[in-house]
Amino acid sequence: MKKSARVAIAALAFLAAPLALAGCSDAGGGTPENEPKALSLATMTLPQSLDPKDATGSALPFFQAVYDTLIKREPDGSYSPMLATEWKYNDDLTELALTLRGGVKFDDGTPFDAEAVKANMERFRKGGGAQAKTLNDVKTIKVVDATHVTLELSKPNPAMLFYLSDAAGLMANPADFAKGDALKTKPSGTGPYDLDQNLTFIGTRWTFTRAPGYWGTRLPYDTITINFFDNETAIVNGLKTGQVNAALIQDADQQISAESDPKIKAVKQEFDFQGLVLFDRGGVVTPQMRDPRVRQALNYAIDRKTMLEKIRQSRGELTNQVFGKSTAAYKPELDSYYSYDPVKARELLKEAGHADGFTLKLPRIAAIVSDALAASLQADLGAVGVKLVWEDVDAGSAIKRIFTDRAFSGLVMNIGQSSTDWVVVGELVLPGAFNMFGYTDDTVKKLLPEIQGRDAEEAKAELQALNEHLVKDGWFVPFYRMTYLHVSDGSVTITPQDGMAVPSIYNYAPAE
Amino acid sequence: MSERTGTVRRLLRHPLGLVSAVVLAAIVLAVLLAPVLSPQDPNASSLRDAFGGPSAGHPLGFDSAGRDILTRLLYGGRNTLGGAVIALAVALLLGVPSGLLAGYYGGWFDSAANWVVNLVMALPAMVVLLASRAILGSTVWVLMVVLGFLVAPAFFRLVRGIVASVRNELYVDAAKVSGLRDPRIVARHVLLVVRAPIIIQVALVSGIAIGLQAGLEFLGVGSGDTPTWGAMLNEAFKNIQRAPSLMLWPGLALGLTSGALVLLAAALRDALEDRGTAPAGRRSRRRARTAAPAAPAAPAAPAAPRSADAGTPRTGTPRSADGTSPEAGERAELLSVRDLAVSYVLPGGGTREVVHGVDLDVRAGEIVGLVGESGSGKTQTAFSILGILPEGGRVCRGSVTVGGEEIVGMPERRHRALRGDVVAYVPQEPMSNLDPAFTVGSQLVEPMRHKLRISRAEAVRRALDLLDQVEIADPRRVFGSYPHEISGGMAQRVLIAGAMSCDPRLLVADEPTTALDVVVQAEVLGLLRRLQKERGLGVLLVTHNLGVVADLCDRVAVMREGRIVETGTAEQVLHAPRHPYTQKLLGAVLDGVPARGPWQPSNAEVV
Amino acid sequence: MLSFIARRTAAGAVLLFVISLLSYLLLSIPDVDVGRQLLGQGASQDLVDARNAALGLDRPVLAQYLDWLAHAVRGDFGTSWFSGENVTRAIANRLPVTLSLMVGVTLVTAVLSFLLGVWAGVRRGAIDRFVQVFAVVGYALPGFLVTLVIVLVFAVHLRWFPAIGYVGLTESFTGWLSTVTLPVAALSIGSVAGVSQQVRGSVIDVMRQDYVRTLRARGLPPWRIVFRHVLRNASAPALAVLGMQFVSMLGGAVLVEQIFGLPGIGSMTVNYTTRGDIPVIMALVMFSVIGVIVINLIVDILIGWLNPKARIA
Repeated sequence: MKKSARVAIAALAFLAAPLALAGCSDAGGGTPENEPKALSLATMTLPQSLDPKDATGSALPFFQAVYDTLIKREPDGSYSPMLATEWKYNDDLTELALTLRGGVKFDDGTPFDAEAVKANMERFRKGGGAQAKTLNDVKTIKVVDATHVTLELSKPNPAMLFYLSDAAGLMANPADFAKGDALKTKPSGTGPYDLDQNLTFIGTRWTFTRAPGYWGTRLPYDTITINFFDNETAIVNGLKTGQVNAALIQDADQQISAESDPKIKAVKQEFDFQGLVLFDRGGVVTPQMRDPRVRQALNYAIDRKTMLEKIRQSRGELTNQVFGKSTAAYKPELDSYYSYDPVKARELLKEAGHADGFTLKLPRIAAIVSDALAASLQADLGAVGVKLVWEDVDAGSAIKRIFTDRAFSGLVMNIGQSSTDWVVVGELVLPGAFNMFGYTDDTVKKLLPEIQGRDAEEAKAELQALNEHLVKDGWFVPFYRMTYLHVSDGSVTITPQDGMAVPSIYNYAPAE
Repeated sequence: MSERTGTVRRLLRHPLGLVSAVVLAAIVLAVLLAPVLSPQDPNASSLRDAFGGPSAGHPLGFDSAGRDILTRLLYGGRNTLGGAVIALAVALLLGVPSGLLAGYYGGWFDSAANWVVNLVMALPAMVVLLASRAILGSTVWVLMVVLGFLVAPAFFRLVRGIVASVRNELYVDAAKVSGLRDPRIVARHVLLVVRAPIIIQVALVSGIAIGLQAGLEFLGVGSGDTPTWGAMLNEAFKNIQRAPSLMLWPGLALGLTSGALVLLAAALRDALEDRGTAPAGRRSRRRARTAAPAAPAAPAAPAAPRSADAGTPRTGTPRSADGTSPEAGERAELLSVRDLAVSYVLPGGGTREVVHGVDLDVRAGEIVGLVGESGSGKTQTAFSILGILPEGGRVCRGSVTVGGEEIVGMPERRHRALRGDVVAYVPQEPMSNLDPAFTVGSQLVEPMRHKLRISRAEAVRRALDLLDQVEIADPRRVFGSYPHEISGGMAQRVLIAGAMSCDPRLLVADEPTTALDVVVQAEVLGLLRRLQKERGLGVLLVTHNLGVVADLCDRVAVMREGRIVETGTAEQVLHAPRHPYTQKLLGAVLDGVPARGPWQPSNAEVV
Repeated sequence: MLSFIARRTAAGAVLLFVISLLSYLLLSIPDVDVGRQLLGQGASQDLVDARNAALGLDRPVLAQYLDWLAHAVRGDFGTSWFSGENVTRAIANRLPVTLSLMVGVTLVTAVLSFLLGVWAGVRRGAIDRFVQVFAVVGYALPGFLVTLVIVLVFAVHLRWFPAIGYVGLTESFTGWLSTVTLPVAALSIGSVAGVSQQVRGSVIDVMRQDYVRTLRARGLPPWRIVFRHVLRNASAPALAVLGMQFVSMLGGAVLVEQIFGLPGIGSMTVNYTTRGDIPVIMALVMFSVIGVIVINLIVDILIGWLNPKARIA
């Protein structure tokens, strides 16, 4: 009896104490001048490993903290020196000569040199990571001397500089390559921060502390913590109550929630477009897809305006093209090429000999295809006679069903709109993940060589012709470009990164 | 059969039970009639109407995909409730038969089944559900089958426990003797007993299934295109900033359903408890209701003394003219009861009187028997004297003095002070009157320490002494034993020791020997008599056994249907009963039971 | 006592073994191409095959299981397929979070539901009805809805507590307390509702027992009867329910950890189970089964202490 009374008192203390605490934590909210500056970021991207060969675009900040890239990509998309101080193409764009920064060392003293570049890039190319294909055109990596290396390309690749500022350009300590999977959890690079193993809980929280003796300019924060969350609600709540300093918010509802707090600062960016990638243009899975008129009909059948209004709360812009606004291929008029015209869609289907309609089976990734999107696509396509069937796929089955089994004709995705034309071509037009059946046609075959050998601005006409062809031939069914919000709790100024949804680690600075 | 209808009626009289049953029925009906009530396709979407408010044909408006909320609510209810039904069906199918077999036959099947049940219960449900989705596919139905599998142990344990405890009970044995085959025994008797607890469990498990399904949906372990309340709630949550009101309907549906299920289970339990474990008072009340329609209700007579006949004129209630019974005259110093009436509050409101104006006296050194059939109100009278009437019961009239102090209307605190050291109690059923969680010794020591304010050592010494006095051979061993470790006769001696522990002047013994076998009965009665003599106690002996009365009592009061019908010396009443009821009681004894043991002709003659 | 614990431990070990075998076999059923999932859609089939071979996935399932078992008995649960973490370390990292919740909720539940249950069961009347209504409401409201409301009111609106995150007990006690308070409160509502009902029922049952009447007849004051005798006798069934509540709390923790962004076992369960990360799932299953066995043992010992009759069994 006495015992239970004691427990009761302890529990009451437990319940009452936080009230007192709450006052303390409010008072101690601001960070004094001389305190170490810390940045707390939230992300919904869970990197599978911190080994550069496994790096992907959305997880790039994790890697940028520890590794440097050969080339730095500025917020506006321009390139500036990082581990490489100079780069130069030969005349036919098949050789890229890089001059490397001297005197840079990895943490264990291993020097960063041309051999290290060669070792990294060869490992990356053969490593089987999602981005390994970006170095497919690199034939040989020739070490000239310690600070000079030349990439010999099998054919020109206008996106090569982009790739070197991205995953393929991340340089890890070659001494760690022999240690099996060590880099996966113990990254080692020349970057501005080190992963603090004591304060890092892989899978939930990564803490990066300033690397002593970093060769470059010090970044403003002493520590950067990246926290993983699996829902944006938690992130927005964290922003409101100060556990998170900055994050990217994609969901329209959460954007509204974030904006409702006067303290929160938000910067808009349009990067991802949402749409249906129709990789089955050859009609392998759904024979009807072979006919361009069918693909056009799908484009006409969809009421994009209502979708944008209701699903995204008008946070975005309608589009029919996969090229983003900062590319050379972009043509404003292609944003509204397809009107919402179910009658025309029916006619096109009839002309194509499918007046009775057909069944289209698509995978549904719940994180991307919301209830409203699923239902409205079903309704819009159903209205012109195309029966849309969703198959639920989850994290465990998605890749297998979509890419290994190749069970579907298309995929509703959010796809980033790179500012580099050739990146877009590489992702969506050339054979690859989003063109898994390797479909092409005469127009594309004719235009590609003219684009590949030249700078994007020079090949602007051909790029635009390609873009126009893709739109008119119904390669894709893009819906809209989505407005994302970079939000901060007011203590951070975020500069969006051109051609990337997530800002680079260099783009954060204390406000004022 | 009538038992069941009785339960149903009681359930429906229970206000919460009625409301929840009606709510559930309405929900089930609406959900079943979904196609009639709302002839639209639950997946029909018109994005233009998304977030739209109520309009003609769409009384609840539209969700984020422009689907009719009412339609989805109705069809969603089909899937949600259907899922729960599947889970339940699986759980019942697995749990009940195996529980019946394991409980009834025991043996290797019981061990094996228990082992499997332990295994299932050790599994982390969430991991199993999530993993089973990967293994078996992502429909609601599959998840619900798995859930049924996971909750089956609850039914198994419930049924097994009840069946095992019922197995050895008399009526099953009797059924065996009369040659019924096992399946029929199970069907007829055992199923009857487990039915109600299963129904309660069903209500609770349905609630769990419904809640869990919603939770899984929230985690994104969803049902795909199948509308469910959980899916609706999850969808609403995703749009909480734009349209918080979307949460309302599915939340309400879920909350109402699971709330109604819990309430129904609670009401059902109450209804069953009402039937099963009603206190003696209520039982007697029910009897009184059925058995005494002819007797006119006693008028609310003025307080004692009562002189006139209130009962049947033929026999006459105790009269002062008897000379031997002093009730109407001067009141005894030790215990005097006048015009005592006890009433109970009825669940539906109102009260019912179960003791109607009883007069009774016990003097020091006197043993008075209070005799009557069970339900005659004698125990209620005894409890009134002790001030320990069960919940709902109270003395509504009359006067009771103990040691000259009026206890009717006395504050509980002061009344409590009389208990133990002025008036003490020896209960009927020895085993159930000892707290199973404490040793015999600590149960003897505790009241002494509290009442007499003596040290622990002193109390222990006294307790051992008491145990010795009640003729227990090895007081130290019994002192350290738990109640389940001693025999019934021993326990009754312990209880007598407990009653004596604070040196009371009056002992109220309620059927002190009924639960004991004949030899032990004799010993305990002998003990009581000895102690009474040694200590000069006044004893009120409540019993239905006239043999006991003949052995022990100086005077006797015969009670029937809440009234004293005859009172006098033991000799008078036993040899020249005047009231037909007393005659009947005596007749029953002479017919059925052989003459009593060797101590028969002792005290009855002592006046 | 010791032999009792030894016997239970042995039975638990057998249980663990059987469950591990069953789980491994069942988890190996779905046809997940782990190598492909790890390497992405771009990797060549050779690379994928090589990765699968490196993970040992090209061998028969039973061989994989025996290999796992050989390591597991030494406390080595291997490496997560998908995140490359050491599984034992990953669980050790997350365990304090979930354990904080579970222990916190169990304490709060034990204290509050005993207070409420005893109060309602002894006093009945209006207090009883209040507790009943609270129980029904607490039980009927979907848990995540309650949690969301709690976050909105106490964190986002009133700013009394952080809305998300976890601070380790060793880092800062006040920080820990402020991060676990709301999750514990959210989880406690449902469990207090359930357990207080159980306590109330047991108390009412015990109050009707003959020995309580006899104790009253001995002149003991009511509070003494309630706290010494009724409570002790009513505790055993309530403890059993509390133990089950503790065990099943992992399910509730999943939701709460998600909403509060807590890096615990619950969120781990969701993230790794849906991806079919067998090393992690197996470890989670083993840890929970061990947890269940230990809790059941503790509950049985406690019940035996409370109820001498149960000791002989």
